[in-house]
Amino acid sequence: MTLAATTIDEGVLDELRAILGEDGAVLTGAAARLNRARVPAPFPVHRWAQYVPDVVVLPRSAQQVSEIIKLANRQRIPVVPRAGGTGLADGAVPLRGGILLDVKRMDQIKEIDLADRTVTVGPGINMQTLNRRLKPHGVMYPDDPASYACSLVGGRIGTSGFSLLGARYGHTRDLVISFEIVLPTGEIIEVGDGGARKVRKSSTGYHLKQLFMGHQGTLGVVTEATLELVPRAETEFAAFFLFEDYDTAYRTFGEIARSGLATLAGVVIFDPEKVAYLRRDDEAYLSQPAWVHAVTAAALYGTKVEVQAASKVIMALGRRLGGKYIGDEISSGDWAARHDRYANPLHGRTSDGRVVPMSWHCEDAALPYSQLPAIQREWHAIAARYVSEYEIFDDWGMFAYTNGAHKPWADVLVEIDMGLWEERLDEAGWRAFVSLKREIGQATLAHGGSLTACHGSTREGDAELVPVEMGASWEVVKQIKRTLDPLNILNPGKQMLDEAYTDQETTA
Amino acid sequence: MSDDGFRPGRYRRQDESPPPPQRVTDEVIMRFEHVYEVDPALMGRHFAQQDMPAWDTRRIVAARWDHLDDVHREFADGITLAGEGPDVEG
Repeated sequence: MTLAATTIDEGVLDELRAILGEDGAVLTGAAARLNRARVPAPFPVHRWAQYVPDVVVLPRSAQQVSEIIKLANRQRIPVVPRAGGTGLADGAVPLRGGILLDVKRMDQIKEIDLADRTVTVGPGINMQTLNRRLKPHGVMYPDDPASYACSLVGGRIGTSGFSLLGARYGHTRDLVISFEIVLPTGEIIEVGDGGARKVRKSSTGYHLKQLFMGHQGTLGVVTEATLELVPRAETEFAAFFLFEDYDTAYRTFGEIARSGLATLAGVVIFDPEKVAYLRRDDEAYLSQPAWVHAVTAAALYGTKVEVQAASKVIMALGRRLGGKYIGDEISSGDWAARHDRYANPLHGRTSDGRVVPMSWHCEDAALPYSQLPAIQREWHAIAARYVSEYEIFDDWGMFAYTNGAHKPWADVLVEIDMGLWEERLDEAGWRAFVSLKREIGQATLAHGGSLTACHGSTREGDAELVPVEMGASWEVVKQIKRTLDPLNILNPGKQMLDEAYTDQETTA
Repeated sequence: MSDDGFRPGRYRRQDESPPPPQRVTDEVIMRFEHVYEVDPALMGRHFAQQDMPAWDTRRIVAARWDHLDDVHREFADGITLAGEGPDVEG
């Protein structure tokens, strides 16, 4: 690959160095830039150079971020914020070069307030690191994505992340009480539910926190966040149940989700294709009987007295329609393995069974519970056409998860996992991948769903469907973007937001 | 110290050869109990196979259990189990 030299002139680099004031905070080397171009999701590796930023900056304060953004506005240089870079869409992928603003040095714990049950942190801290510091205090920050060990608080806010414990404790938007954000023009503001930093419920003004939650780097750079502290759970419980068919597992999923158990942290269902994929390579499923074609599982967190009583309800509901308990050992082990997708090397299979390296595509959506069986059939039918036509894809099955924070009984997060053999990727293969994504997104909208429950619609394929989903409110979205970011400096090219500037001169 | 013959500082390569593989499915083999491996014949040029001593496999398996124990401890101080084995045999 030929990597172009930075197109930002030396005068701008000198200004950045002056703002940051320390060695190693302004990086123009190839490794620093290449490593911050992509995310774990499939990537057009044959065109990698098109996504490389011109310069990487590593600020330590909101004031520095503000000065960088003001400089970018003066020079009309795009700025792309990036935290852990673990996202499964392209929120942190630069589409037009420019300044990549990496927040990893803003990783401080600024305050642990045990009286008001908050912790205030920089956006560069990781949740696992944070929780290990909180543990001696008997509290935790229960935001638990699959990327728990490697994603950062700033990215969680940027994508409005999904937590695997969301039914019990809420998702990122529920767990972040307030945050400081540097706007696209450089002003520093604090947003919450009202204006107070440590108040969870307010009726003052507009609730700006939710406007900026899930901003995908297009509305600012988060520089500090005040987070919820909850009591550490005394105990956890997980149970996995095996089923002969998807429909019975689906109905069992619904019964557990509607159980009303306050300690219920999440319910998940694996479909037949997912079970077949797991049976292929996963130690927990290789040994399961051949009649097993679907799995439903549930997890509980809370005090012992609550969880022990609720666990008996889960065991009864899991078996009521014919589910067979998988046993204590695999139940507890599989629940603990819920982050594996970010830790394991990924591989897929060709049609003749050979093992090949594949990157992981995970297309997510939020859908009403009633639509799950139909969307399960339709997504696999779409995937099957592409798998048969192109040797680069592999269908790794689907799962669904309770989606509503504290309200697990209705809509579901639905995901289809697919492998993509990047080594064989060319432009035709990439266009096929984009087309696959678009068809899946169109099916989601046809069933009354939302394009994404947690990853964000920031990549080609589903990004162009964002205006379709938003409908008449898309005009308001564009007005907000243009008002806050008049020169389209922040993460340009994402989510069709360039439409807000069709008659203006911008960085684009 | 255990009496299993382990002696610190003494390494004999012939004692560390993995057991012969048993076939589990058309695509999977097993050399150590509950440690499944994709049939090396399917791994092709992309995943070069190495001659791994038994102690290294045991180390990786032990590290895996350590990791799962750590995840259990992230959000809860204890584990509640149903207290039951599987309803069906594999």
